[in-house]
Amino acid sequence: MSGRAIVITSGKGGVGKTTATANIGIGLAKHDRKIVMVDGDIGLRNLDIIMGLENRIIYHLVDVVCGRCQVRQALVKDKRFPSLFLLPASQVDQKEAISPEQMRDLATQLKEEFDFVLIDCPAGIEQGFRNAVAGADEAIVITTPDVSPVRDADRVIGLLQNTLGDPQLIINRMATDMVKRGDMLDQRDVLDILSVRLLGIVPEDEEVVIAGNRGSPVILSENSESGRAYERIVRRILGEEVPIPELNGHRGFMRRLGKLFLRR
Amino acid sequence: MAWNILLQRLFGNRGSKEQAKDRLQIVLVYDRLGLSADQMEALRRDIMETISRHIAIDSERVKIDFQHKHSPAEVVINAPVRRARPAAEAPKQPAG
Repeated sequence: MSGRAIVITSGKGGVGKTTATANIGIGLAKHDRKIVMVDGDIGLRNLDIIMGLENRIIYHLVDVVCGRCQVRQALVKDKRFPSLFLLPASQVDQKEAISPEQMRDLATQLKEEFDFVLIDCPAGIEQGFRNAVAGADEAIVITTPDVSPVRDADRVIGLLQNTLGDPQLIINRMATDMVKRGDMLDQRDVLDILSVRLLGIVPEDEEVVIAGNRGSPVILSENSESGRAYERIVRRILGEEVPIPELNGHRGFMRRLGKLFLRR
Repeated sequence: MAWNILLQRLFGNRGSKEQAKDRLQIVLVYDRLGLSADQMEALRRDIMETISRHIAIDSERVKIDFQHKHSPAEVVINAPVRRARPAAEAPKQPAG
């Protein structure tokens, strides 16, 4: 069997790549798929702590690539889902410790055993990015509706189009009230600018911070808005048609007119 | 005054996102082209020289912009004409 290798990338740091990887990984595992999440951020290991698996690491990605251990020995099994595994990053090595070719070989090997190989890409467009992308068949770009992440996302989309083709987009941390008063780019604005396919919108949600604190991603909590958004994203990845709720600030002319007269 | 408020109520304030969108669209045209400020200046100079060979233009005021009202983006060159004669014969006064 050959699974799908998906890289989750953004260009800009801090927009939610690792959080997205963790939630999508868990979401896919909930749907009974066999998943491995690869932390591609060598030197700045993060996915383990977001997943609450930081105490279980023995070997890491660089150990595997350099032949210091077997892949099987480095995989950390999730404590909630038996079909979910993490291949952690090294905390001490440099990005240059592995090459794009090595990453490609590793991904090929992992795809034989897993339905999905999710690669959490480091920020930037240098070697770490090239490594993470080399192993992937498809890409998800994540951005927030702010000027600099959108600009960086555009750059990354351009780079990906030369190799993996058109990526899909997740817009993270969308604040409904700001969109409504015209102070935040809405989905239509972002898509006008970036011209890619939208995979989902994740609302701004305090629960994400709490989830991080606990090492228990939001998709696991029952009443979290962002958790439900990730659930929908996962179903779309699996090929299901799930409508994207429209969230934008274009209030109709007639509604404005009505409001004007009602107020007086 | 009251008219302004009425218009604002009807069409809404121009929120900061409009600025975000405009600024992003401009910066991305340059990003996508990979043009530096020096290259832009060289382009401006070349265009100015070429036009000046045929038409007397106000070379100080030649402007190059990118517009994104339509896709793909368009290059818009703005060159104020002094007089529709060869540059050498053009008098030193702006056209009416």
